Amino acid sequence: MNTSVKDTMESTFAGWTETVGNAMLEGEARMSTRNTDVFYGDKQAIFGVDLDIGKNEVLAMIGPSGCGKSTFLRTLNRMNDTIDICKIKGEILLDGENIYDKNMDVVSLRARVGMVFQKPNPFPKSIYDNVAYGPRIHGLVSRRAELDEVVETALRKASIWDEVKDRLDQPATGLSGGQQQRLCIARTIAVSPEVILMDEPCSALDPIATARIEELIAELSENYTIAIVTHSMQQAARVSTRTAYFHLGRLIEVGSTDKIFTAPDHKLTEDYITGRFG
Amino acid sequence: MTDQNLNAIERMAMVKQERMAAKLGKRYAKEKRFQAYGIVSIVIGLSFLAMLLGTIFTAGFSTFYATEIRLTVTYDQELLGVADMNDESQLAFANWGALVKNALAERFPDVSGRSARRQLNSLVSSVAEYDLKDRLEAHPELLGTTEEIWLMADDEIDALMKKQIDRDAPESERRLNDFQISLVDSLIESGELKTAFNTTFFTNGDSREPEQAGIRGAMIGSFFTLLVTLVLSFPIGVSAAIYLEEFAPKNRFTEIIEVNINNLAAVPSIVFGLLGLAVFINVFHLPRSAPVVGGLVLTLMTLPTIIISSRSAIKAVPPSIREAALGLGASRVQMVLHHVLPLAMPGMLTGTIIGMAQALGETAPLLMIGMVAFIADVPGTPLDPSTVLPVQIFLWSDLPERAFVAKTSGAIMVLLGFLAIMNLFAVFLRRKFEQRW
Repeated sequence: MNTSVKDTMESTFAGWTETVGNAMLEGEARMSTRNTDVFYGDKQAIFGVDLDIGKNEVLAMIGPSGCGKSTFLRTLNRMNDTIDICKIKGEILLDGENIYDKNMDVVSLRARVGMVFQKPNPFPKSIYDNVAYGPRIHGLVSRRAELDEVVETALRKASIWDEVKDRLDQPATGLSGGQQQRLCIARTIAVSPEVILMDEPCSALDPIATARIEELIAELSENYTIAIVTHSMQQAARVSTRTAYFHLGRLIEVGSTDKIFTAPDHKLTEDYITGRFG
Repeated sequence: MTDQNLNAIERMAMVKQERMAAKLGKRYAKEKRFQAYGIVSIVIGLSFLAMLLGTIFTAGFSTFYATEIRLTVTYDQELLGVADMNDESQLAFANWGALVKNALAERFPDVSGRSARRQLNSLVSSVAEYDLKDRLEAHPELLGTTEEIWLMADDEIDALMKKQIDRDAPESERRLNDFQISLVDSLIESGELKTAFNTTFFTNGDSREPEQAGIRGAMIGSFFTLLVTLVLSFPIGVSAAIYLEEFAPKNRFTEIIEVNINNLAAVPSIVFGLLGLAVFINVFHLPRSAPVVGGLVLTLMTLPTIIISSRSAIKAVPPSIREAALGLGASRVQMVLHHVLPLAMPGMLTGTIIGMAQALGETAPLLMIGMVAFIADVPGTPLDPSTVLPVQIFLWSDLPERAFVAKTSGAIMVLLGFLAIMNLFAVFLRRKFEQRW
């Protein structure tokens, strides 16, 4: 053990060439990144990541803190645009279109690639207005009745409808943490995105609320492509079909979740999932 | 076991209890002392405030009531020299003073002789005749008739009634002689002299005669000035704050802007007055003494306050709300208008009202742009010459007549009243629009 983790990592990166496992899919991918680098000023946070996210799959991204998995997730719907010093190289494709292309409008991109954040962040408005906000700003519905239907469907899909149907006009901030997070998921699916990005959606929740969100992820994967960043390996194992392991800004290994958690090919992956560090 | 065998911590542990006990007493004493300092400073502060308000109220209270004399006035057509009520020039040159003098002579038929007559006439305010003119113009049918009317007494009589003139002082040291006092006493006896609420103070503009001087002109001037300030500084300040906080790139240039906004907040207000004089009046030839120029100058002065407080209100909006909006595909403008602005509004409004309260009390810059002129008319538009409350206070505090001392304090009370109302309004807005989560 005293041939410490640091040594292992250094020796690994000395000869690091490319990702182990099936990062590219054989069929058609919903999203794919090609040789993607991300820089914060002079500091490089992501090193040449090639990764496909398939249709209707749940891809989990795991790795120790600071490995760049959240940064990578946020490049997928250009949330990093708000950070001035953040620069992105390489290609990121959504259904074959480069999302960093000049012709790609960031507003419509984010309507197609929705995001759920680490901390539940409902607007300090009513429950109804939270869910209706997306359809409203994009002009997706023309009549009030239609909007009512969209709100109800979204809340049902996020399995929170029964809890809030009698108090849609009450402030969303009065809900519990788990309910708030499911409301945020409802808010995201109300604009009917193709991909949903989730950045540690359960890290602020208790185990029961977490279990409900995980069930919800399984249900949503029937209709949506989901990329989820998580710190909990158990959660990755429970909800995902494929798992990607990130380490110090590099994508180390990708594979089916079963394979990653039972027989990882890479030494770093094995060390991480067996709990030697991280 | 000897002491040598113990390490430092073990040795300390043996005396821990007693040492702590010794120290503890001192610690509590220090805490008590610290609280006492706080209480003493608050008491000192409050007593200064009480003293300030006390002197202002005792000095200014008397200005809110005034002495009036009842006279039986005959609107004698011949005496006035008015044949046609619609002829402006006839009205302007009519001998209105004769009406008052006649009425007084009828009330005191025994008074004769030039000097005695003059002293009798001095009982009534020298500008009371214009009240008669206004009345007759409003009711032309009164011409030729007789009516009883309450007219404003002279400020010396008013001072006597308010006990500011000592009846027992030797006649030579009094502003009123024995004869005048005897006239007043006979009026008091017959109920023809009363003190009543001084509406004139709130309905008249400035005047050289203290009993006729009022703050309406200054109040309207202050209102127009603040209106111009608000209309200009709120939208400009809020837009600047939003742009700097949400849209501007963070580079050297915006840094310089930021530093300079903070510098501007510390610039002495008289400098803004000089700037206003040089730019708005000398270059753009805007009217002198006008609230519109005052408003422009105060806008310059208030902008930094509004920008700084708006920026901190915007900064206080949690970034998670911005991410939520952007993540749903809201554009930046939508994010700001739908989410950031409503949440930052209470802070922005509070900053704005504090800035407006500062502007309401500002004197120095307005002196530079001529709002210190003596203006008797009440302004009708922001372009009319006018003065403002603090400048009116400054003007009155300089005048020698005794009655203006009370007027000064009275005007200060009105100004303080407006400031208190504005601050209460700020608290109300903050409570009303505050969103909790």
